[in-house]
Amino acid sequence: MPLDKVTQIGQTKPLHGEIPVYAQYTFGIAGERFFREIKDKGRIMGTKCSKCDLVYVPARIYCEQCFGELTEWLEIPGRGALHSFTISHVDLDGNRLKEPIVVGLVKFDGVYGGVVHRIGGVEPGQVSIGMPVEIVLKPKTRRTGSILDIDCFRPVK
Amino acid sequence: MRKVAVVGAGMTKFMRRAQETGKELAWETAKLALDSCELTVKDVDCVVMGTAPDAFDMVHMKHEYLSDGAGAWRKPYVRGVLGGGTGVFTACQAWYHVASGMFDVCLAVTEEKMSSCLPHPQGAFVTCWDQFTESPLGTSLLWFFAWEMNRYMTSHGITEREIALVSVKNKKNALHHPCAQLPGEITVDDVMKSEIMAWPVKRLDVSPTSDGAAVLVFASEEVAKRITDRPVWVQGVGWCLDTMYIGQRDLYYPKYVEYAARMAYDMAGIKDPRREIDIAEPYDPFSYKELHHGEGLLLCDKGEAVRLLVDGETQKTGRQPWCPSGGALGVGNAIAATGVMKVAELFWQLRGEAGERQVPGRPRRGVAQAWGDEMQVGTVVVLGV
Repeated sequence: MPLDKVTQIGQTKPLHGEIPVYAQYTFGIAGERFFREIKDKGRIMGTKCSKCDLVYVPARIYCEQCFGELTEWLEIPGRGALHSFTISHVDLDGNRLKEPIVVGLVKFDGVYGGVVHRIGGVEPGQVSIGMPVEIVLKPKTRRTGSILDIDCFRPVK
Repeated sequence: MRKVAVVGAGMTKFMRRAQETGKELAWETAKLALDSCELTVKDVDCVVMGTAPDAFDMVHMKHEYLSDGAGAWRKPYVRGVLGGGTGVFTACQAWYHVASGMFDVCLAVTEEKMSSCLPHPQGAFVTCWDQFTESPLGTSLLWFFAWEMNRYMTSHGITEREIALVSVKNKKNALHHPCAQLPGEITVDDVMKSEIMAWPVKRLDVSPTSDGAAVLVFASEEVAKRITDRPVWVQGVGWCLDTMYIGQRDLYYPKYVEYAARMAYDMAGIKDPRREIDIAEPYDPFSYKELHHGEGLLLCDKGEAVRLLVDGETQKTGRQPWCPSGGALGVGNAIAATGVMKVAELFWQLRGEAGERQVPGRPRRGVAQAWGDEMQVGTVVVLGV
């Protein structure tokens, strides 16, 4: 069979369609508390596995390493360090953004895990790996119980 | 376990948009692979299917939709999915179907048709992340790559210009691949001047989305020796998954690739992969990934892959060619099919059938690797003659 076949692909007849699914999912045992703590008290909570000496963020009800149940919750300080970051110039559809956005992975001291989020309050060119950052929450009245209740992380002044 | 050989291979030209449906691509390529070893679908005892997100083909459980094109009519059939790691894992699956003694001939079919999702397959990828902590941010696949590339560069003091050499090398290698989508002679400056997608990732650091299929035929030792005098043996297979949470990994090094590689090397009896492997096909969906994965495959020390690249050791004529096929960057990235394209490249190179891509010195052993899922799976196959 020849390797090159149809060259005028635009002339072929396309089937249009979508996979429409509207979902209402549960947050789960750990997620229910984790997101309520952010919404109501403005704090990030983790769960601790004493056996493996790991603190999980986002919180979980089990340890993925020893498979034990986790019941000990503790507050994580809202300050961490930027593990890595990118300056994104495109949206999900590949369109150029008017202003680039900085998004990064924030890790906290002594914590197994981290939070992926927007990095705000800083010029993109001033961001660096290892930079200390702190949580910026939305006003309590605008929180809905979502990761977006966190507005962004910004460099510690 | 029984010895298993690869005895046939085929692939379509990777292209931005093919007229064929996924199952038509699968059928055409399965025929090519069977023809290459003079077998027919009647000789096939079982079929394994590798294909990544369902949404690409606009149908859930797409392995069912693809099954007849894959030659699975009234045969044992199973699909394995490890995201971007799927292709090489499909070869691992085919291996254990035959090695177990249950089947003598297994057809390993991989297919991907990425052109369907509008405006971009990113729309499908965004529903792959954690639905509570990652997807609500509109998390793009590009971000994951950019975070990893940035961490990797920063940890080792590697520059964007050095990493750009991977794109230059692989697109050049692809000039001689008849199925290549984006071959070319480009320069480091071309890469540096291409538009910034998500810094440090630029347009020419990224492989294209592709439509395509790739198929391998696996056979038991007895069948292999009957139908070919040039069987290529599966010497080792390995796969490993790390934690699903990106925050629980250090992005500078793919430990899960190392674990998968160690599993495959132990099986192959390889003690020193730097000397005992002649050619490598590390997965290169983004330029830095070839280096990152080469280190995970223990082909050099951490942070040293760029030195091999700059010194020309991984060029087609170098000490240990990496991605002589042209890789995902040059041939194209029809996700699951790309993994099998890499295993097929080893097959052709080890048989001396790679034409103008043929590396000098009669290679006797090669390693192919893929990576994906939530950016934390490594899949590895070692072939040898």
